[in-house]
Amino acid sequence: MPLLINREVVADNWSLLNEEAITSEASIRPGNIIVPLALYQEHKALFTEHDGQVALQVNGDDDLTELMENFDQFPMIAIEFPIFRDGRGFSIARLLVRAGYQGEIRATGDIGRDRLAYMERCGFTAIQVADDQFKPEMLNAFDDISNYYQSATDNNRAVYHQ
Amino acid sequence: MYQYNEVDQKLVDERVEQYRDQTRRYLAGELPEDDFLALRLMNGLYVQRHAPMLRVAGPYGMYNSTQLRKLAHIARTYDKGYAHFTTRTNIQFNWPKLEEVPDILAELASVQMHAIQTSGNCIRNTTTDQFAGVIADEIEDPRPYCEIIRQWSSLHPEFAYLPRKFKIAISAAPTDRAATQVHDIGLHIVKNDAGETGFEVLVGGGLGRTPVIGKQIRPFLAKEDLLSYLEAIVRVYNLNGRRDNKYKARIKILVQTMGIDQFRELVDAEWEQIRDTDLKLPQTEIDRVKAFFAPFDYDATAAEDSSLEQKLAQDEAFRTWYERNTVAHKVAGYRITYISLKPYLKPAGDVTDQQLDLIADLADNYSFGEVRATHNQNLVLADVKNSDVYAVWQILSGANLARPNIGTLTDMTVCPGGDFCALANAKTLGIADQINRKFEDMDYVHDLGDLKLNMSGCINACSHHHVGHIGILGVDKKGEDWYQITLGGDDGSNAALGKVIGKSVPSDEVADTLQKVIEVYLDNRYENERFIDTFQRIGIAPFKEYVYAPAN
Repeated sequence: MPLLINREVVADNWSLLNEEAITSEASIRPGNIIVPLALYQEHKALFTEHDGQVALQVNGDDDLTELMENFDQFPMIAIEFPIFRDGRGFSIARLLVRAGYQGEIRATGDIGRDRLAYMERCGFTAIQVADDQFKPEMLNAFDDISNYYQSATDNNRAVYHQ
Repeated sequence: MYQYNEVDQKLVDERVEQYRDQTRRYLAGELPEDDFLALRLMNGLYVQRHAPMLRVAGPYGMYNSTQLRKLAHIARTYDKGYAHFTTRTNIQFNWPKLEEVPDILAELASVQMHAIQTSGNCIRNTTTDQFAGVIADEIEDPRPYCEIIRQWSSLHPEFAYLPRKFKIAISAAPTDRAATQVHDIGLHIVKNDAGETGFEVLVGGGLGRTPVIGKQIRPFLAKEDLLSYLEAIVRVYNLNGRRDNKYKARIKILVQTMGIDQFRELVDAEWEQIRDTDLKLPQTEIDRVKAFFAPFDYDATAAEDSSLEQKLAQDEAFRTWYERNTVAHKVAGYRITYISLKPYLKPAGDVTDQQLDLIADLADNYSFGEVRATHNQNLVLADVKNSDVYAVWQILSGANLARPNIGTLTDMTVCPGGDFCALANAKTLGIADQINRKFEDMDYVHDLGDLKLNMSGCINACSHHHVGHIGILGVDKKGEDWYQITLGGDDGSNAALGKVIGKSVPSDEVADTLQKVIEVYLDNRYENERFIDTFQRIGIAPFKEYVYAPAN
């Protein structure tokens, strides 16, 4: 799946860990993995010895209270957009940035061209687009609208401060 | 009124091109139906029973004459020669072609208009008092704050995919003419004990399937905190509002489930984090926007006019209209003048292209070039000199825009209903005609006095039937249209939800049933007592008894 960072397609050296990979006895393959929060909490011990980096994937249904206390141990937090209309991820990204999270904030899930700019403005630093939704042309979407009224994570200058 | 600067214009222009590309990709099969649906909704485009429907924003109800002429042109060129004013003070076109909508949006952008966020699950057009700035009893003109909210909420990157739509209304007078208590957020401009002006904040009101009166979340909010507090509320809602059931997704359900106290705690905790960021509104910005709404250069000699008194004495038809359809202006010698969009046997809120052009001329000649839309689907010329009122009436009369029925039973608020809307369970327009026929006698209607009749064609309640003094709701019973009647609703300062009077009635009995309701009122009212006041005094029982009495 194409990964956009700084408005360019880059190589992705992370893979998403699913439940089967844990229950199938076989030890988790080395490498950088993204673990859904619930799975991580259930099998915490498994990941302490993991050969590779461990990131978390969260969505709007997750309770993020604990994560907000100790996010520094994760180099990346992926925020899932389960369906197009679910906009909770925008707020979650802003909360992470505001709390001082320094790692990569990645958008994943149902992500079309027309929300790329909003995601960037809310503090996502990486956006993963599904193969069937990706077209090289979509990189132009970041420039559709060149100025905004309100501040967001990308700028702290509302129109009245400009 | 507000005038775009380069930033505003560029944003709207770029948005048109963005939507043009979205439409192109959709028509080329590159954009899935579902994705396009969310995007077209954020640009005001619904797909209705017969054709797409385009809803154009009328920010807090303000339109200038140039815009009205452009709307007339669009109605003529791209539609069937008419348009429809909504209860959100927007204007809708019912017959545009999907592939022509980008061109229509470009036409709108050329007169500082757009259709951004007139639908979809985002922050919608902020509404306010149609008398803002011209009524004596207001604390401060609410329109600058409406405009500040418009800018903050337009293309807000975080709040474009809320659980459900989100509506804000502001009122600044003791008489609430903006239905603030039935909005997701209602703001009342108030003064605190120290004499400072700020906002009382209500949250969680709404109509639709589950009507709720908004609850106070904050008795006083300083002006500088307006945007940070709104952002805190909407963020808490975005994160916590239900997304599993669209009928339980409005903020009113969240506030109800959580309780106002717990909801307030969450909002306050969030607010603490952001109130000292750049969301803090500088006084310079308030002043900048206020300057656009400065009082007009009123004629100091206007009050010396004596011709109005003469005309009132001479012309009974004029006097009847004047008493019903005009309101005292805060400046001596001026009058606030309604344009009734509730003519006999025509759909409520509809205007033709010719009427739009004529209204634009009236605005230019008699009211500083501006017109306001009301949430009851009428228009207002807010600043008419006393000496011009008679001429305005004559011109309005000639265009079928002077029916003297503002605030009366025939000033019905009616959604397009089953004739146009794909969501409707029942038709409304024919019922409105039936009521108009029954209550054609204007003397009788005037004698009934203030009476608010709202009719919706389904439980989505676009015409706010819950808060009509008399509400009518169309329901479907085995493929037939039936109508449920509620009494005692009010969207003013004493907001209340109507009570169902009894089992629904078939379509040919609606007007007769209303007649019976009216008879109970007439039998019981004290002198000069309004329908709603009589209802509150005697309760629903006498109405119920009489309306459903077995026929002799």
